[in-house]
Amino acid sequence: MVAIEVPEVNYTDYSNRQLAAVPLAFLVLALAIIGGWVVATGAPANLGLEFTGGVELRVADDASGDVEQQIQTAFEREPDSVRTIPGDDVVVVTFQASQDDPEGLANDLQDQAEAAGLTTTAVDQVSPSFASDTARTAIIGVAIAFLGMSVLVFALFRTFVPSLAVVASAFSDLVIPIAAMNLLGIQMTLGTIAALLMIIGYSVDSDILLNDSVLRRTGEFYESVSRAMRTGVTMTLTSIAAMVVMAIGASVFGVGLLRDIGIILAVGLCADLMNTYLMNVSLLRWYKFEGVAR
Amino acid sequence: MLEPIKKNWRILLLVVVVIGSSVALFAPGFGPEPAPGENVSEAQQGVTNLQYGLDLAGGTRVRAPLSGYTATDVAFGGDTPESVADAVAAELDNASVRNVGVVPEEGAVEVTKPSVTESQFRAAMDAAGYEYAEVRSGVTQETRDETMNVIQGKINEAGLSGGSVQQIQSITGEYFILVEVPGQGRQEVIDLLEERGTVRIDIAYPDGNGTAVQEGTLTQGDFETIGTAAQSDRGTGAYVPVTVRNTAESGQSPAHSFQDAVAQRGFADAYQTGADRCGYNEETGEIENSNPCLLLVVDGEVVNSFGMDPGLADSMAAGSWADTGNFRLTTGEFAEAQTISLNLRAGALPADLDISGEGTSSSISASQGENFRTYSLVIGVLSVLAVAGMVFLRYREPRVALPMIVTALTEVYALLGFAALLGYPLELAVIAGFIAVVGTGVDDLVIIADEVMSEGDVNSKKVFDSRFRRAFWVIGAAAATTIIAMSPLMVLSLGDLSGFAIFTVLGVLVGVLITRPAYGDILRRLLTVK
Repeated sequence: MVAIEVPEVNYTDYSNRQLAAVPLAFLVLALAIIGGWVVATGAPANLGLEFTGGVELRVADDASGDVEQQIQTAFEREPDSVRTIPGDDVVVVTFQASQDDPEGLANDLQDQAEAAGLTTTAVDQVSPSFASDTARTAIIGVAIAFLGMSVLVFALFRTFVPSLAVVASAFSDLVIPIAAMNLLGIQMTLGTIAALLMIIGYSVDSDILLNDSVLRRTGEFYESVSRAMRTGVTMTLTSIAAMVVMAIGASVFGVGLLRDIGIILAVGLCADLMNTYLMNVSLLRWYKFEGVAR
Repeated sequence: MLEPIKKNWRILLLVVVVIGSSVALFAPGFGPEPAPGENVSEAQQGVTNLQYGLDLAGGTRVRAPLSGYTATDVAFGGDTPESVADAVAAELDNASVRNVGVVPEEGAVEVTKPSVTESQFRAAMDAAGYEYAEVRSGVTQETRDETMNVIQGKINEAGLSGGSVQQIQSITGEYFILVEVPGQGRQEVIDLLEERGTVRIDIAYPDGNGTAVQEGTLTQGDFETIGTAAQSDRGTGAYVPVTVRNTAESGQSPAHSFQDAVAQRGFADAYQTGADRCGYNEETGEIENSNPCLLLVVDGEVVNSFGMDPGLADSMAAGSWADTGNFRLTTGEFAEAQTISLNLRAGALPADLDISGEGTSSSISASQGENFRTYSLVIGVLSVLAVAGMVFLRYREPRVALPMIVTALTEVYALLGFAALLGYPLELAVIAGFIAVVGTGVDDLVIIADEVMSEGDVNSKKVFDSRFRRAFWVIGAAAATTIIAMSPLMVLSLGDLSGFAIFTVLGVLVGVLITRPAYGDILRRLLTVK
């Protein structure tokens, strides 16, 4: 049987600059991807129905193989996207917001689907003005959550650099999964926002552990770091295992929301491992050996 | 006797929570509220008392504001609400006095007709000569509450168990009505909501050779109370009890004028014994015997005809009935009585739901909901197994790992108990919250275990306690950040997200206050070297 041993990293071999370079490179890359998305699509991520408005139908796939073709001919309007959900035998057809009467559109589309012999298992309709409200509320919600977390972290440690390290690493933990979502084609929905908020919770755990070990305990710096690492890496690996299993299970069964949450969290937690034990450690080391001495 | 309780109170508290959750989950009496005409076991979904939200049970959710405009801080200048409504309605070409509401307590005047624009309403207020602070879109609190009651009535009368209606406020201060109906398709629900009937009671009476009808002897507003359908005490019939208002600000009250009309049409003479029936034929519109009848008219169509109990007819003829103003509309079948009650009570919403303009609706078929329920259970179990596997691999010591997994599972069990107790419907987002709780829960238990086992054997309670306290600082700090991060979402109206946030926060609280201290105690007993 394999045992999980948390490796001892010999931090003394690397300079702060070298340690911080990798996570910073990832952060810059992620920001570049998100920036590119804004330039190309006008939004930082692939926005889901809840944030754009429109109508979404889930059409049952009867395995005859020509459902997608049927869909192309069934509707009077051209669908904006047609996605097949593997494992669940469902095709999701999305129609972007129409300013004129989205409710009537939903009814028409359902009728058209029925007339073409397609079985709709779910219909979602969101009006454009409501969608923009939701988007604003969601952004405000995430902003307040992040701000509240930052204030609390500063209140807990009452020192600038270590607190900043926690907040910076949490920020990067959020940004990297968003970039990954864009690349993987995962839509930004209320469910995926929930996942991003979970990352705030998870990532702060290991950062606080590290800061606590280095700042509030007795002991030499490297000893403190390796003590925090032993616990922190176990924690994060356990969570990653749970999320990977959830993502795999949910994609087999076609539960899209849980799959997306699993993927986002797995990516976010990997990012957290990197950020905590490369960027955060280097910031703390600088603070301990140079910042305080000045 | 007290000493062992004092020493192990943390573990005992955990046991109490587990027992409490079991009661909430399985004991009868904590189950979902059954809809009228439905028994308790029909309302229950599966073996537990848990309720499932739309994405796990199938159904339809509609969220929309009520259309209308409200003028606030109106100076009434001593006028009565009725005269204010009359004056404003008179200035609006496309609305009648029924579309104008005046709420003196809120100092507000509202118009609920969707075709009236904001500027038309402002102009009408100005022309009627009432000053106001501002005009906002939406209707008054009173109208929202009343609309909710009517929708709830529609849902109940239609026998849809688990259907709910609530008011939510968006971040911009706008109010939305949120209606959730499990097991029903989108179109059915919207039809149910938008169904807007006019209801009245007419009197049909023989006139020469044919039948004449006196229209509108009672209209919807004349009823003071309209009861729910009830099974008749004797025989097989069912009835709807109603009370007619017997007071009026001026002139004759509805009860008195109804009483006069009934007396005038000779009900007392026609209905002498219980055998006398109403002979109204709904198809021809003629009375086939010579007895006058009461007609229930919905949207201009006669849906029911009633004769009259001899005792009731006599008391109306004698002029004493209007003192109480009650009577019962009796029918042969319970289902028919339900429809009558629905028609009378919940025929119309006080204001329209603006579903197409600013609303949203979503609907999921029941079979898909059921699939998702099974799938999410399997996924949850798999994730927990993954966590358990990792913990065993890391510690390789069942004394540490086994209580850890049991404790984490207890947290989820306690949360399920909470959900059953609160009647909070489980949704995919809530399930995700559960998985998050297992994740953070195990994280914290790892912190406790590592801290306690660090630096050699635990050889006294004192050593254990000081290490445990150190571990708890980290856990408390992490829990506080999670709660702070989630709290805005609990109150913002973001649909699924609030359920997720509520359960994550609840899970963190249960964990920090109950399960994680108990794990510490368990570990101490197992590890302390005597």
